[in-house]
Amino acid sequence: MSVSYVLKEGFAGFRRARLSAFSSVFAIMLAVMLLAILARVGYNAYNLAQSIRQDVEVEVFLHDISEDRTASLRNSIESHTIVTNLQYISKEDAMERFRAEFGPGSEVLGSVNFLPASFKINVDTDAPVPEIVAFVEEVSGYVGVDEVKFNRMGLELLEERLNMFLLWGGLLGFLIAITAMSLVFNTIRLTIYAKRNLIKAMKLVGATNGFIKRPFMVEGVLHGLVAAMLALGLVWLIFHFLIPLYLPQVGIIAWPFGRWYFLTGAMIVFAIIMGFLGSRWAAQKFIRRASAGG
Amino acid sequence: MPQDVVINFKDVTVEYDGKIVLDKINFSLENGEFKYLIGDTGTGKSSFLKLIYRDVLPSAGQVKVGNYNVSDITERQVPLLRRSLGIVFQDFQLLPDRTVYDNVAFALEVTGKKRKYIRQRALECLSMVGLVHKQQNMPGDLSGGEQQRVVIARALANEPRIMLADEPTGNLDPNASRNIMDLLWKINNRGMAILMVTHNYDLVRKYPAETIKITDGKLSKIDPLKLKTI
Repeated sequence: MSVSYVLKEGFAGFRRARLSAFSSVFAIMLAVMLLAILARVGYNAYNLAQSIRQDVEVEVFLHDISEDRTASLRNSIESHTIVTNLQYISKEDAMERFRAEFGPGSEVLGSVNFLPASFKINVDTDAPVPEIVAFVEEVSGYVGVDEVKFNRMGLELLEERLNMFLLWGGLLGFLIAITAMSLVFNTIRLTIYAKRNLIKAMKLVGATNGFIKRPFMVEGVLHGLVAAMLALGLVWLIFHFLIPLYLPQVGIIAWPFGRWYFLTGAMIVFAIIMGFLGSRWAAQKFIRRASAGG
Repeated sequence: MPQDVVINFKDVTVEYDGKIVLDKINFSLENGEFKYLIGDTGTGKSSFLKLIYRDVLPSAGQVKVGNYNVSDITERQVPLLRRSLGIVFQDFQLLPDRTVYDNVAFALEVTGKKRKYIRQRALECLSMVGLVHKQQNMPGDLSGGEQQRVVIARALANEPRIMLADEPTGNLDPNASRNIMDLLWKINNRGMAILMVTHNYDLVRKYPAETIKITDGKLSKIDPLKLKTI
């Protein structure tokens, strides 16, 4: 069988059955668009949560201890894998910061330095809250440590919301994918069912199953490609035009990983796979079933 | 099977849901022969043809078509068997979304022949049935008689030795029916074996040939000239 025949027939199938091609393209487009929106919003929500977590600092206030003890404490704290960054703030540095923050009013305190030395610690943004809590509790027990502070409630709330979002988002994405797949498969199945007489006639003249099936698969890939283009257009319209217009405070929600081509590529590949698998599955089923006779 | 026998049934039985449709029948069609197969509706005429193009398998017995032992061939060989047959149906079974030319060419495309040969042979077949001038028409634009001629052109495309015609005049007016019979007669005179299923006894009398009747799953030979019009 020539490749040109398969391609020619694949393209012709698109032209010959416009309504069924439209249904199949529409189903794939809808699925890809919904998943793309979910992916883009989900990615940004996750990123936002991560950046908030990045700002969460653990502050370890120290008693008046020797330099050796401070160095030993620093080593102990840094040995935790959860710690990504540690900054030592001496009593003098703390006072400097205080003065910079309170300005001339701070002069009333004269040369009294009542502020303790401390460590400012950034922890791994992927670390779960219980792990951070355990770390904090351990550090609190170290000799020379006066007090450990971190926004536990804020972090717990953030984690709870993020987990909820990821769970429901994932579930929604899964449901969309399943619904979309069954919608696409059934649409393509109906498209091919409408061609059952054609398939019967083809079998009658001695066409092999592969010969009949391949143009349908090319057609499926084309449906996927067209659907991906339409979905891309709509996603662009939604994120670059509709959201900034109606929700200006949100602005333009960024592409995942900061580049347009990752999600675009994934959308195209996903749409093509759906078109290909859908038509392959449906064609295979009908071609096997179709009897050649009248 | 002798060299000149192209279809041979030996003790063939076909059963559907325990009901015997064909009962240990024996039949043969020789090269260049024309035979009619008649019988009431539901007596198994279509099953008889389906056995030949392997759309139905016998419950018992052996069916041989050309070099193929139909009962034993694999699924992959079925298309090859069908390419060695020209099949004409009452309801045409044309590809409605392709032109007349494409319908004939399709029978050649499936064999993987070269484009140049396909074009030449398809036009040759259309010319045999007198439809070259309608090659770019869609089947739906043609009359019933013309559509049946396209089917015959398609059946001729792969130069088969056997043609199966399942009530080819069933949907046609008397004039178109006569044209089709003239065409089949001409094709038979060129050496192709034809097995035709029909209900049109007037045509059988007008174009007499060996006539086989199916009754209660058994075959019997009858005199075509003594057939009464239904």
